[in-house]
Amino acid sequence: MTETRATFAQMGTAERALWYGLAALSLVVFIWGCIRLVHKYRAGRKVERRPSVGLAATIRIVLSHSWIRRRATVSGLAHLAVFYGFLVLFAGTTILAVQDDVAKPLFGFDFWRGSFYLGYSLFLDVFGLALVVGLLVLAGRRGVERLPRLIAGRADGRPRRGNAIEDWVFLGALLYLGATGFLLEGLRDAEGAPSFEKWAPAGWLLGRGLHDAGMAPHTAEVIHHVLWWGHGLAALAFVSAIPFTKGLHMLAGPAGVLTRETVAGKQLALDPIGYATMRDFAPAHLLQLDACTRCGKCHEACPATNGGMPLSPRDLVLDLASGALQLLETGDILVGGMIDQDTLWSCTQCMACVEVCPVGIEHVPIINELRRGSVARGDMDTRLQSALETIYTAGNSFGESRRKRGRWAKELPFEVKDIRTEPAEVLWFVGDYASFDPRNKRATQAFAHLLAGAGVDFGILYDAEVNAGCDVRRVGEEGLYTELVERNLKALSACEFDRIVTTDPHSFHTLRNEYPQFGGNWRIDHHSELILELLRSGAIVPCRTLPARVTYHDPCKLGRYNGVFDAPREVIAAVGAELVEMPRSRNNSFCCGAGGGRIWMSDTARPGARRPAELRIDEAVALGALDYFVVACPKDVTMYEDAIKTSGHARRIELIELSELVLESLAPVDSQA
Amino acid sequence: MKIVVCVKEVGLLGDEVEFEGNRVDPDFLDRALNEWDAYAIEAALQLREAVGGEVVAVTVGDEDTEGVLRRALAMGADRAARIEGELDFDALAPARALAPVVAEEAPDLVICGAQSSDAANAATPAALAALLDAPCVAVVRSLTVAGGHLVAHRELEGGVVDVVEVDLPAVISVQTGANTPRYAALRAIRQAEEIDIPTHALAEHDPPTRVIALRLPGHAGTTILLEGDSAEIARQIAALVKERVG
Amino acid sequence: MRVLVVAEHRAGELRPVTLEAIGAGTQLGEVDVLVVGPDALAQAVNVQGVSEIVAVAAGTEFDPDLLRRVVSEVAEERSIDVVLLGNTVDAMSYAAAVAIDGGRGFVSDVFALKPGLVATRSVYAGKVDAEVAIDGHAVVLIRPGAFEPATGAGSATLTSRIETRAARVRHLETIQPDDGGLDLAQQRFLLAIGRGIGEESNVELFTELANSMGATLASSRPLVDSGWMPSSRLVGQSGATVKPAVYLAFGISGAIQHLAGMKASETIIAVNHDPEASIFNLAHFGAVADIFDVAEELAKLY
Repeated sequence: MTETRATFAQMGTAERALWYGLAALSLVVFIWGCIRLVHKYRAGRKVERRPSVGLAATIRIVLSHSWIRRRATVSGLAHLAVFYGFLVLFAGTTILAVQDDVAKPLFGFDFWRGSFYLGYSLFLDVFGLALVVGLLVLAGRRGVERLPRLIAGRADGRPRRGNAIEDWVFLGALLYLGATGFLLEGLRDAEGAPSFEKWAPAGWLLGRGLHDAGMAPHTAEVIHHVLWWGHGLAALAFVSAIPFTKGLHMLAGPAGVLTRETVAGKQLALDPIGYATMRDFAPAHLLQLDACTRCGKCHEACPATNGGMPLSPRDLVLDLASGALQLLETGDILVGGMIDQDTLWSCTQCMACVEVCPVGIEHVPIINELRRGSVARGDMDTRLQSALETIYTAGNSFGESRRKRGRWAKELPFEVKDIRTEPAEVLWFVGDYASFDPRNKRATQAFAHLLAGAGVDFGILYDAEVNAGCDVRRVGEEGLYTELVERNLKALSACEFDRIVTTDPHSFHTLRNEYPQFGGNWRIDHHSELILELLRSGAIVPCRTLPARVTYHDPCKLGRYNGVFDAPREVIAAVGAELVEMPRSRNNSFCCGAGGGRIWMSDTARPGARRPAELRIDEAVALGALDYFVVACPKDVTMYEDAIKTSGHARRIELIELSELVLESLAPVDSQA
Repeated sequence: MKIVVCVKEVGLLGDEVEFEGNRVDPDFLDRALNEWDAYAIEAALQLREAVGGEVVAVTVGDEDTEGVLRRALAMGADRAARIEGELDFDALAPARALAPVVAEEAPDLVICGAQSSDAANAATPAALAALLDAPCVAVVRSLTVAGGHLVAHRELEGGVVDVVEVDLPAVISVQTGANTPRYAALRAIRQAEEIDIPTHALAEHDPPTRVIALRLPGHAGTTILLEGDSAEIARQIAALVKERVG
Repeated sequence: MRVLVVAEHRAGELRPVTLEAIGAGTQLGEVDVLVVGPDALAQAVNVQGVSEIVAVAAGTEFDPDLLRRVVSEVAEERSIDVVLLGNTVDAMSYAAAVAIDGGRGFVSDVFALKPGLVATRSVYAGKVDAEVAIDGHAVVLIRPGAFEPATGAGSATLTSRIETRAARVRHLETIQPDDGGLDLAQQRFLLAIGRGIGEESNVELFTELANSMGATLASSRPLVDSGWMPSSRLVGQSGATVKPAVYLAFGISGAIQHLAGMKASETIIAVNHDPEASIFNLAHFGAVADIFDVAEELAKLY
């Protein structure tokens, strides 16, 4: 007997016609739903998008689930099982349709038999099992473990009920389809099936079980018929519901990955208008909002969320997604309406959300565009307004006179070259905090000592330097940013140097990645990289190894934004200190809370909440006895000096900036033991 | 109603200063819109929002001072004009320079900041009013227009408020804190660069006052500096408090 | 030199700056005093050094238009060299107009006067002193509290004038400040905060410090303008004038308007990170330090 089975067995012509009719209807609804979505995305504002991830990379990412598995191994693998299970079963049904409706009637080609049939049966059973197991694991994460990131709320912290129901229904529907699929196999086998059906082992075992439980073949046949429709209708309903429900993520997710700009968040767009209403959104962003699977990884990673501020990237995306259709129609202004001011301004633009999102959502660029829209309307926190006005007038955020910028250099025992008048090999772009803040000046002077001691030919811009503009841009004041860039470019172009070095990751980031948008293009390094060069070449020789146990905090703009993780670590190793990593390190580093202009704004955290910087110090202190908390960013110096005091750990940990650490290793050991 | 706002770009001194003859060396000055004038512009804009009309910003200065006019335009002023000229610190010079241009505009109301942060004469509002033969009400913290008059709240010493009714046309000056000046996004300021600002010549006058010397203020007695780290300083303060308060 | 002092009154009471102006005027020459207000005030200005008092009967309300006209006319009639009055909110509504009317030079906020006429005043937010020479006739506004008031009974002659009111400015009502029952002037120990505290959330820090030290919290203008502190806590020209046993200032730069309200304090201790802050010119004790560090250390001691 040839290994095959009859499709639509025991179904009359009328029934088959009904089935095909409903299938067609389901397809039409599905297509209509998709068209509706395309219309929605096209209601946005066409903007020029920079190069994206690309098709080849997207396929790789989706098939390997690399983004989904990042920092979520169990859920990631479970989803992998569900993904491939679903895909294989879907493909299996399609193959069958091709065979039944195209190959056999039109070409007389019947391939669903013999070894193919056996292989097909086994394959589908295995993957069907994978689907069911994966779903059960995911259901366990949601229902038993109750992971916080899966419990969606609202951006302002209020609870959100509707999504939870939809999540369970979606999960339940897939489980139902998987389970009934196996049940159908079992019932078929209980009716009396040839032994080669063993190649579908799950069904075969189920069938035996039913038979042994006393189910008569005739009963099995009746139940099978009814359940066939039960399964079939559910499947058709599921498919047609895809564009309208969570099922959409199956299409929108990969589409989101595909549309993710490679420079998303790192190099902001030259768009002066910003997002005031939903109609201003780029179509890609509208699409990305629909891609959200409510996995909550961004929520988990966000410093604002953890710090008790009224912002959760997940909830912001969901609020926007759920209101999109209506808001596109009404054209209502978003900030101050659907989105709270405090929500918008709580973001530190640290990119933890963008970095971890499995479906490529660009939270940071979206928030940035919303900020641009707000700023254009003059709608912002009064402290921020004051900070921006100060930067415009004084060229720095401290409101100090220009002449004071180089004051730290005048306090040194050696002269620091004025690169406006004398060429030098290295132009050291110092930055506001490093120039004006008293605590940071010590670190700045330490680096100057290192450079001078190593005989580096360097100079600074003195009064001609203005705020590099990184946070001004991240706050959405694109006009002021352009102004600052122009002033700095003018100053830089008038000088002679080979390379730029900076101790400030914010300046580093914008000079390297965004100034080229305006014409500036130089080699630019962070000071940790230069220090490493000097250590390797022997220009700096630690004369003692520091018997210190330290941890290192990766600054957002240096690490996650620019991938510079190793240079500071190698510097720490070179001075002989023992590095103990915090749980969240490298590209998973936890932001200090100063970025995105937050250091200029009022507090939005709920009373009593532990600030991001305090949480970070808690994390460090939990590593055990540490001598130093090492930082490589001036804002980190400010935030963590403060946090060490306010967190109550002042006696247990001490902050040191990288240059200060290296300088300490050069100091001769006190003869007093 | 037509409102003219008189604004000034002032020089801001940091912690260092050098004198160049009888003026401060410009190298030591940062330039910005006079703090009081931001409140004046905002007051004018709010009045226009309430009763309708036109807001015209006027300043006296060289081409570089057009920045303050563009800021006013970016905040929402309808037009701007500049009187070309450099003023010294004679208290009546700004009013004399402004009067012809303001008179030509024939506004219903002229709004100034109560004083400038650099010259700090607080003279322009009353002097301008005299030249326009209008009443002047100075140091106002809120104003409303109703039926051809202005109702102004004068902020007196000690926080007492004197509410007066003024016939229009009038000149008023605005105190800080009278409102919250709106933000002028840089983009709007840069777009304002496209707007043409007519320039007027300065009518020459012989100033009746002259600055003959500038110097750093002396100390009223000697200040005893508390030395040491924060803990030391705190101890010394606590000791002083105990001694002097009891 | 002929001097005309314009008396200033409020709620029917003569303001002290008038006596200070008379005191300053007697250093320059012959002093006449013009009083536009209730009759009783004429007697209040009859102090030593005054030659003649010109009284214009009027109500207690302030009418800048009337004052301008009367002062200009009287100054013209009597060939006055210097019109002298206090640098006050009232004066800002009409004094410069008088100068324009009479073709006079104008100087305000003067804290030193020399015959000649040379006036010394503050510019650049109190960071620089300027000596100004006035050629010809002048209108001079003196800084309240900078000159010694004239005292003692005088023997001035009294002249009355009748003036009809122009009435372009009409008084509607007077609103007393809401001090919430707090009388800063009665407190022995004030802890004052200024712009240097940075953000609104830091107000709490200093409120607690003031409480633990037994001080009453006070404020300079910028914090009241921003709405971080109620106006009942304002010390300065537009707020309370105080002279506590100790005035401890954190983050206050020392704007003239603020100093006007607290310079009579017995002991002024100023803490500010800026070594050039004007308040250090006035303070008895100063600390150039981080105000938060010092505040924190102080909190530990109480």
